[in-house]
Amino acid sequence: MSILTIYHLVAIFLLCIGIFGIIYRRTLVGIVLGIELILNGAGLSIMASAQLTPTPNELGQAGALVVMGIAAAEATLLLAILLVVSKRFKSVEAGKLVTMRG
Amino acid sequence: MDNLASENLAWIVLFGHIAIIVAGGFITVLSESLVRALMGLILTLFGVAGLFFLMAAPFIGLMQILIYVGAVSVLIFFAIMLTNAWPGGDESGNISGKKVIFAILASIAPAVFLGSAALRTAPPSIFVPEETEVRELGRFFLEPYILPFELISLLLTVAMAGAVILVFERRKKK
Repeated sequence: MSILTIYHLVAIFLLCIGIFGIIYRRTLVGIVLGIELILNGAGLSIMASAQLTPTPNELGQAGALVVMGIAAAEATLLLAILLVVSKRFKSVEAGKLVTMRG
Repeated sequence: MDNLASENLAWIVLFGHIAIIVAGGFITVLSESLVRALMGLILTLFGVAGLFFLMAAPFIGLMQILIYVGAVSVLIFFAIMLTNAWPGGDESGNISGKKVIFAILASIAPAVFLGSAALRTAPPSIFVPEETEVRELGRFFLEPYILPFELISLLLTVAMAGAVILVFERRKKK
């Protein structure tokens, strides 16, 4: 088993446990935590694929930085959405959000 | 002899960080308190940053700590705090068995497909990655890949403005 495979398996583990968290958690905040895990796995996978193969290293580093930027933007928007949802529904449980109209 | 010792040390560091990532992942997903789950996420983020350092990319590792641990985790903490996620224990209480089975099935499916693909089609990998200078990375971003760089800044600006507008709009209607 090459080192690249080990890194990829760790990234797949992060993806799987993120999906598990998204389905298992009841509150929206818990779902956000799962999404962050998945994004981290994506960054790790991109980075390992570039660093440990003859691909130019800058590509992987740039990819990892782009993933981090997307994660930051996503976290900002999710915080705002969570605030609006918690004001409207008085709860952030995913099962209680049954209507899209406020 | 010295080379062998440092190689063993590298393996220990690798599997230590993988253990940190696995432990943090399980804490994130299974912990009943959301604050503890966030601490598990931070543990995972540090583990991934350690793997970045091990891959000879200290700049990205530092960025990981700065952006994820420093900014995203604080944002999520604000989300926990401002949405009153803990009174009544939103995450406590028993979860139906059907949901647990669905969650396990949904997480095992990509594990099987992607894991077998990663194991079967693994290209030969370099054992000792080379470090890239930050100067080179900056030139890479400013010359051939300037469009994604600018798009990321645009995305961040739009996300920030969108977040402000979302919360502000609601307050005005009251």
